[in-house]
Parts: sequence; structure tokens; C-alpha cells
Amino acid sequence: MIITELRSLRWADLFLFSLLDPRALYRQIYRKEPKSFALSFTVPAAVAVMDIITLSLLGKQTPFFYYKITYGWILLFLFQILTVIISAALMDMASQLFSFKGNIREFIILVNFSLFPRVFILPLAYVFKVFNFAPLFFYTFFFMGLLIWSAFIAIQGISEMHATGLGRAVVVYLFPTLLMGIAIFFMVILLGILGVGYLAN
Amino acid sequence: MEGERMDRNRKILISILAVLVLTSVIAIVDISMNMQQKRGAGISLTGPQIGPGVGIARIEGPIQMLGVSSPMSATSGAEGVIRRLDELEQNNDIRAIVVRINSPGGTVAATQEIYEKLWRLRKKKIPLIASMGEIAASGGYYVASACDYIVANHGSITGSIGVIAVSPNLRGLFDKLGITMNVIKSGRYKDILSVHRDITPEERQLIQEIIDSSYRKFVRDVARGRAHVQGEDGIKPIADGRIMSGETALKHKLVDMLGTFEDAVDKARQMAKLAEDAPVYDEVKSSLQQFLFNMEGRFSGRNFLNPDPRLLQYENNYRIEYRYLP
Repeated sequence: MIITELRSLRWADLFLFSLLDPRALYRQIYRKEPKSFALSFTVPAAVAVMDIITLSLLGKQTPFFYYKITYGWILLFLFQILTVIISAALMDMASQLFSFKGNIREFIILVNFSLFPRVFILPLAYVFKVFNFAPLFFYTFFFMGLLIWSAFIAIQGISEMHATGLGRAVVVYLFPTLLMGIAIFFMVILLGILGVGYLAN
Repeated sequence: MEGERMDRNRKILISILAVLVLTSVIAIVDISMNMQQKRGAGISLTGPQIGPGVGIARIEGPIQMLGVSSPMSATSGAEGVIRRLDELEQNNDIRAIVVRINSPGGTVAATQEIYEKLWRLRKKKIPLIASMGEIAASGGYYVASACDYIVANHGSITGSIGVIAVSPNLRGLFDKLGITMNVIKSGRYKDILSVHRDITPEERQLIQEIIDSSYRKFVRDVARGRAHVQGEDGIKPIADGRIMSGETALKHKLVDMLGTFEDAVDKARQMAKLAEDAPVYDEVKSSLQQFLFNMEGRFSGRNFLNPDPRLLQYENNYRIEYRYLP
């Protein structure tokens, strides 16, 4: 069953659509043809590997790399899954605030596939590393670019999911960031107050 | 028509994924090769430094209880060496230890502490191999004798089994300059080995007793360590303070083999029944650290010829040592 599914190459459509047509990607996720929940987690896994290799390539190369690519990869992968799940949950919450129907499972799949462009950071940064032409600058530049591309995929997917305009989709997408930003802001204030209290005593 | 287009697109995507995988593999190989080159080991690839292997402990420069600590220095001083040996002992991956010695010896107590620590490890059946650098004389040889196997270079300076106490007599100079010392003491020997007067026969006798006692302990411990090769009777005739080359030491069975540090590591792997390419866990982690050590003269074993000013302060006091003093 799985082998037949793999041979049919239908799974490749999900990756293809995430790059070319995010709205078609969501439609594919919605139809569940092929089933994409488990498959979507291969994307954060690949992104974690690419991130570690790219940073090791640009940074100081020590034998610690072997630990980074093994244990470090597992840690980063788990962290990314956690981030995806929290973000998806918050996006789902934001959708419901707009009176849309919530579906956290589809959000998780969508956010996972939206990360796909980030795997290109390695070949892009590698070229500049090989020619030693401002590799760190171009790494940052491409990283930002790919991040925006990822956001664009997710926003288009959300827009298709709720049959709504891009404006509302952007708000839903940015809701987790805003919420986490506010939480961090208050935590910093709280820590500041605690710190002042501690020093005053 | 649409189906054909999709098929072609899918194949393009698979090709892109294959290129990504290939890029990752090339990047990993690139990183590994860079690390190898930094280690100065050519371009051969080896696996990560994990799994059962050989630990290295280094004894560099004069042996004394406390070492000089700085961000650049390796584990230094007897306490530092013992701490390093403790680390290796507690590490389950360490199956054998190579003790790299580049020392002319040092104070009696510090040398004995290292010897006893090594002896405890030996009793725990951890194979210990001593590797002599430029010099492993007197106390340097003392600690080497605690190991199961001793490897010396052809030209390593070793031997010098004996004890020495040196104190300058500046009485003549003091008289010439008209300097006298006011000494108020609680007992007749309290200012023993003072530099401003001659040593008395009683004082000499007292020091000699300490020297003899330390010497007997030295010979006994060397004989204990080398019991598998020769006993105290074999050691005593050459335990007259003479230094010797690695080659001569081999003839007198003070060492087991002539060879380099690499040979010592290979022997350790062999004794611990490890693979030929089993990892080596050294104290020196990076080439930068090695460079900094060399800057300090620590690794070249020049400390005893060109000592650290902080050590000189201590050198001015008399002490009894297992040390080769040229």
C-alpha cells in the first residue's frame, strides 16, 4: 500500500504545490489525497538538517558537528514540531475568533509544508561559501527571503482554507507571533519588576 | 496532456530533492574534511570521536603539587594530573590510558601522589602505557614505572633514579658584604639548610636520612612497578642517579620498547583489545590550544630549563626532589 503510494509519486504534488501553488496545496490537503499528515513532518525534519549543516558550514568547524548532526538534529526537530503545533493551535484559535471553522490538523499540515522553501538555504548559502563571497551576508539575506516565502505559502493556504481575503489570512497567520510577542513583553516586564524587587531588598 | 505535465513536474521535483540530498552529503563531507585538515591529518576521513578508545594524560615540566593555571595551560601540577586521571577513570569509553611524560621529575610528595594514583588505576586493570618525550628522568621515570608498559624514544633522557636536595651556601658572600642574619629559633634545626651559614654534620645527617628514606621508597616503588621484568636487585645497581638514553634504558630493562607516542597509543589499543582506529581522547582539544601550549613552552618540556617566573619564587626555597638537575 505504502510502496504503491510512493511509486505513484502523488506525494510529490504536495511539495510541488507548496512551491508553485499554495492554494492548490491546501486543496490537496483538504481532499486527503494522498494522506499528508505524517508526510508533512518530513519537512521540519529536513529543515532541521539543512539548518544545522548550513550553520556548521558557515561557522567554526569542530568535531562537535557530529553531535550537532545527530543529537542536535533530534533536538531541533522536536523544537520545530513544538513550534509548529503551538503556532497551528494559535492560528486555529484566531480563525475561530473570526468565526471560521477551526481545523488544527489542517493547520499543522499547512504550516509544515509552508516551511519547505527553507530547505533551499543550504545550496544557496553553499554557493557563496565556496566562492567565499560574503557568505554570512547572503545567508542572512536568503534566510529572510525564504522566511517571507514560507509566510506567503501559509497565508495563501489560510486564505484558501477559509475562503477569505489575504488581509484576514495575514492576521490569522500573524496572530501567534503577536500573542507570543505580547507574552514575552509581559514576561520581561514581570522579570524586571522581580529583579528590581530583589535588588531593592 | 495535463497528466503528462504533472508527471514531468513530479519528476523535476524528485530531481530537486535528489540535488538537495546530494548537496547535504557534499556539505557534510566538506565539513569533515575541513576538520581533518585542521587536525593536520591529511584528507582522510574518520568517524566522530565517540566510543571506546584511549585516553591521554600529560605530565609536562617539573612535577609539583600545584600547577600554574592559565586559560592556555593544560592540566598542570600533580593535582591537575590526578584530576585528569580521575576524568579518564570515570569515563566508560576509556579502555586504556597513555601517560605522556615530558618531565625531569619534581618534588617527592607530588611525584608519589601521581605514582599512587596510577598504581590504583593499574590495580583496576586499566592498561597504562607510559610514553616518554624528550625527558622522563628521576620523578619522571618514577611515575612511568607505575605503568604496565613503558615506551621511550631512542633519545629520551631517562633514569636518574635518586633523590637530591640542593641549597646554596652564601656564607662567603655574606661575610664579604658584611651581612649578618638575626635568627631566633625554637629548636636547633629550625633553620636547617639556611643559605647564610655552613651546614652542620648533624644537620647533614638529618637531611641524609630523609634523602635515604625517599631513595629507598623510590627504588622499592620502581621495583614494584617493574616486578614483571626485574626485581629490586636488578634496579639497585643502576639506581645511582645516572641518566641514560632510551636505548640504554631498554638494555637495563627500565623501559619495554623503543618507539614514539604513536607506538604507545597503538600499544594501548592492542593491550585494551581495541580496534586499530579506536579514538584517542587527548587533553589538547584544538590546534589553537596546542599552539598556545607551545607558546608557553609547556609542551616542549622546556620549563625546567626556562622556568616560569612564578615557579622561580618557589625554586629559591630548598626542597627534596626526585629530579634530574643538570
